[in-house]
Amino acid sequence: MVRSKAPSKKQQKKGIDFKKIKRKLGRKLPPPTNATNTEIKSKAIVLPEQSVATNKEGLAVSKKGLTLKELLQQTSHHNAKVRRDALMGIKDLVLKHPAELRLHRYAVIEKLRERISDDDKVVREALYQLFKSEIFPGCAEDNQGLFISLVMTYIFNAMTNLSIDIRLMAFRFFDLVVQYHPPCFSLYAEKILQSYEDILRKNQFYLEDKGKLKSTLYGLVRCLSLLPSKKPGCQKNILGERKIHAFEPDLPTENTGFSVIIKKLKELVLVLINCFQDFIPLLNSMPQLDAQSFDCILSILQSIDIAVRFFIYGNHEESPEANPLQVTWDQTLLSGLSKKLLGVFPLYPKHHLSVKEDDRYFILNIVITEIFLHLREWICPSANVFAKFLEFMENALLGKTCSSTRSGKATWEKHVPSLLPFIPKLVSEVTTDWQSHLLEAFTKTFRDCNPESSLKLACLSMIEEMLIPRGDMHYTEASDPVALDYQTIWIRELPLLLILLGDKWPSSSQVVLHLLLRLGQFACWNSSLIWEYENTQFALCEFYSTCREGNIYYGPFMRLPRDSQELSICCLYYFSNFSTLLLKAITSCCLCPELEPYVLFRIIEVVHAAYKAGHIQFADHISFFITLLSRFKVYPENICPVKESDVQISNCGTFKSLTCMVCSCLSQMGDSSVVFRILEKAILDLISLKPQLDNACAMLRVLIMLDSKPTRLSEQSIIALSNFLPGYLMDVVHCIPEVDGNEVAVSNHVQTCRYYLLPCFFLFDRSNQLVKLFLNVMGSSLTDSSLSLESHNSTQYVTDSLSRMNITVSLLLLIYKDVKVQKIMSLFRTEIGSIMQSIASLQVWFCSVNFSSMKSPYLCKQNLKYV
Amino acid sequence: MDVVIASSSIDGGIGCWDLQTGAEQLRYKTCASPPHGLVSVGRRFLASSQLRDPSATSGHVLYWSWSKPQAEVKSFPAEPIKPLAADSEGSYIVGGGSSGDIYLWEVATGRLLKKWHAHYRAVTCLVFSEDNSLVISGSDDGCVRVWSLFLIFDDVRRQQASHLYEYSFTEHTLCVTDIIMGYGGGSAIIVSASEDRTCKVWSLSRGRLLRNIVFPSIIDAIALDPGEHVFYAGSRDGKIYIAALNAESSPSNSYGLHIIGSLSDHSKAVTCLAYSTERNLLLSGSEDGMVRVWDVKTQNIIRMFRHAKESNAQGFSR
Repeated sequence: MVRSKAPSKKQQKKGIDFKKIKRKLGRKLPPPTNATNTEIKSKAIVLPEQSVATNKEGLAVSKKGLTLKELLQQTSHHNAKVRRDALMGIKDLVLKHPAELRLHRYAVIEKLRERISDDDKVVREALYQLFKSEIFPGCAEDNQGLFISLVMTYIFNAMTNLSIDIRLMAFRFFDLVVQYHPPCFSLYAEKILQSYEDILRKNQFYLEDKGKLKSTLYGLVRCLSLLPSKKPGCQKNILGERKIHAFEPDLPTENTGFSVIIKKLKELVLVLINCFQDFIPLLNSMPQLDAQSFDCILSILQSIDIAVRFFIYGNHEESPEANPLQVTWDQTLLSGLSKKLLGVFPLYPKHHLSVKEDDRYFILNIVITEIFLHLREWICPSANVFAKFLEFMENALLGKTCSSTRSGKATWEKHVPSLLPFIPKLVSEVTTDWQSHLLEAFTKTFRDCNPESSLKLACLSMIEEMLIPRGDMHYTEASDPVALDYQTIWIRELPLLLILLGDKWPSSSQVVLHLLLRLGQFACWNSSLIWEYENTQFALCEFYSTCREGNIYYGPFMRLPRDSQELSICCLYYFSNFSTLLLKAITSCCLCPELEPYVLFRIIEVVHAAYKAGHIQFADHISFFITLLSRFKVYPENICPVKESDVQISNCGTFKSLTCMVCSCLSQMGDSSVVFRILEKAILDLISLKPQLDNACAMLRVLIMLDSKPTRLSEQSIIALSNFLPGYLMDVVHCIPEVDGNEVAVSNHVQTCRYYLLPCFFLFDRSNQLVKLFLNVMGSSLTDSSLSLESHNSTQYVTDSLSRMNITVSLLLLIYKDVKVQKIMSLFRTEIGSIMQSIASLQVWFCSVNFSSMKSPYLCKQNLKYV
Repeated sequence: MDVVIASSSIDGGIGCWDLQTGAEQLRYKTCASPPHGLVSVGRRFLASSQLRDPSATSGHVLYWSWSKPQAEVKSFPAEPIKPLAADSEGSYIVGGGSSGDIYLWEVATGRLLKKWHAHYRAVTCLVFSEDNSLVISGSDDGCVRVWSLFLIFDDVRRQQASHLYEYSFTEHTLCVTDIIMGYGGGSAIIVSASEDRTCKVWSLSRGRLLRNIVFPSIIDAIALDPGEHVFYAGSRDGKIYIAALNAESSPSNSYGLHIIGSLSDHSKAVTCLAYSTERNLLLSGSEDGMVRVWDVKTQNIIRMFRHAKESNAQGFSR
């Protein structure tokens, strides 16, 4: 546009100044001066966002203000320091915001796993700590399979890394994974074992760096201990299940799939044996066995031990071979084990420098012995070798090889139990000579160890195994004379141990009691054992209670928890000849007010069952019951109509149920007339001693329960009763204060009275003679008092006789409330009349002296007239 | 005709009543039997072990045919026999001795076919399984054992086996008082009662304890509901407790865990229980000598039979 204008202008201006402008062809016109520059020039400006300035409100940040995303990015930074800081930052962030980890766990793990084979040691260590402290615990509960598989690929990668450090670290990572997710070992078992084998073969490094080797071996021990070497425990918690026939999914157990690794494991064992052998010269050259080498050797030995156990006891059902044991033991392995490992036994210190060293060698020797004992049947050792091990066992049990310091003793207690499980089998197989040696040593161990230690418990379970036949019924009556001596010692030791344990270690006591019970149940097969069991009852008396100089000392039984008490009660049933002494001890426990009612009733139940089975003498049993009824202390002494549920205030309810229970037991004991004949005299003798009201009532109840209508009571007893009953009935009225007020209270009062009066009513119903005598005694006592009143003049005496009269009146009122008894009483008008007479005369006398409490006699009179 | 039979430990003969009409049938004479000592053999005749003096060295078992009140056959086993059981066809009788031996007789010939040492103490109860292939025994030593008759009769395998029993359950601490077996052959449940105040439910297929129920008193008799929802436990305090097997039970109730309720007639101790599947009735024998017939739905007593002073064993027959 600009250009086209220009020539036209020239034409116009031609006339003004004829200046010719020369134009050269092919040249561009210079731009006109007034031309507008239409070119647009631009340049990009990059302004990176500054992290300080961005708004991170609401986002989870670490201490340094970085988000998780940023931190994860930084973990792959080329600078090791930054990477480490990033890991620290993640730890920091997760600590503050645990939800962040849960949300992004897969993203986190996918990024972090790359660092497992990081070149820098510090970074790996930081990662390990991060995994250990935050990530694994944080992701423990959810779907672990995926999580683990994400990590495992990288761990395997690291395990084959060229750098030895990274490889060792990978084992530590794997160890961590196994800790949090044990099934992961069974998934990758073959690969893992291969890796361990590879690293252990490279033995040039470990003699220098034992610390790293140690941690690797620890991991190996942990992995191998996941191998099934025992029967899986099937005892599930049974209480929680709500339905019996509920569906149970058939999940494969964790133990499946191990049989494929047998071959791999064998190779690993060979490598481990070589490792062990490499250590031997080192031991000899070193002045002292230091902690790290000790740990390494111990781990090696433990790994071998576990592997051997797996070969022998593991379930190899899935392996195609019919008998896996035959296949498992190829000769190289066996000869390797017996030459290189068992051949160097026993290890002993060359220089005797410290006590601690002794203990270390002791532990190593124990593990080797264990391996030997597992293998014994497969390697068929020569007598010489066998004797070497037996000797060690004996010395170990006797505590000879261990130092006598405190730590040495602790080591001994900790490690000897692992030898004990072999004893029952060994004892049955070795020669008599060794048998007695071993049993002697075992018995000494059992005696010497602390009663509450785990060693004692281990001993007890071995004793149970040796005493009680397991399963097979093809028993022989003639048992080993050698073993029998020791068995006797053990059984005798049990009650003493029980008393020694006291109430401080209830779980140990429980074990002992359980053993005693089993013994009672199953000892019949051996007459001498049952004899010993019978004899424990004398020692057991002290466990319940002892009586010295009239004082009763309660044994540990009273203070043990209820289930232990129940167990000990059950033991009683199996004494085929219950001694009177033990029954006495138990009776005094029963009479102790601190004993729970439940336990009391259990004791009675079991004692009665024992009687029924013919284990208790009739006389003993009867006196047990009578003692309970007559000596049981009911508190409070004054009866007040409390509710029976108030156990805190009164044990009256307990005593009532006790009476009930004794009655029903007595009624089961046979022909009631015979039992009555036997009991009659005893009860009347006790009654005449004027026991407490409740006890008297209980005994009367027993009498009427066994009696029939008409009564079987002898003449003599009737007279005795007629002398006793008035006092008893007056006491009842006296002790149960009459209440005024609402109907509930009154009826409650009548109920309470009735409980005590009812036995008397039964007696009255069954014997008219008794009623007559009873009324006579009542009458004469009243006449006596009225006669003596005139001679005595002390106020005290007057008050007494006044109250006695009042009580008599209210008693008569109570008696007349019962329709049936009223009928009986109507037969004895003369006697009743004479009583009324004396009451009347007493009243007249009271009126004449114008005694202060005139009111009540009048009231009585009114009431009686009504009667 | 369904009949109820009852005997007692005191000589009162064997009472026999028609369950439908309540009419008393023949009373079989001279019978004093221990618990679990009365059995009807294949619904053809009655057999009952007899209580003996403690000093007696031999046992005594009497047999009655349905038609005659006098015992027709007597046998004297080598030792006192307490529990008796017969298989459902009535071709074998097993008896438990006081030494812990179990005896197996063939009914047709009367021969003693097998005798084996089963327990360390006296056998207290014996039960045949539904298909007659298993015998379950309970003993004074608290042990419950399951025996396979196939193994018992297989001499070769018996020599090899380390033990004769299939299972040995030793969790009871005192004398076992009663055992019942559920339905379903090999995968059935076993319920055992003991003087330790518990009933325990065992799985026959898995050989382990499924449930432990603690009662307020000793249980002497148990009976199973045909649907296996609950079982009934007759206790020494006179109540019949209802315990849940498959039924829902609230965790907090007055008697204890898994106990749903109780039937009570304020009677004396319950000594035996039986369940009539056809009529849906529960029968209980009590120490007071009465046999009560319960309608379990309404929990009412619909009939009572007076047997004697004491009754302790009963069954169904015909």
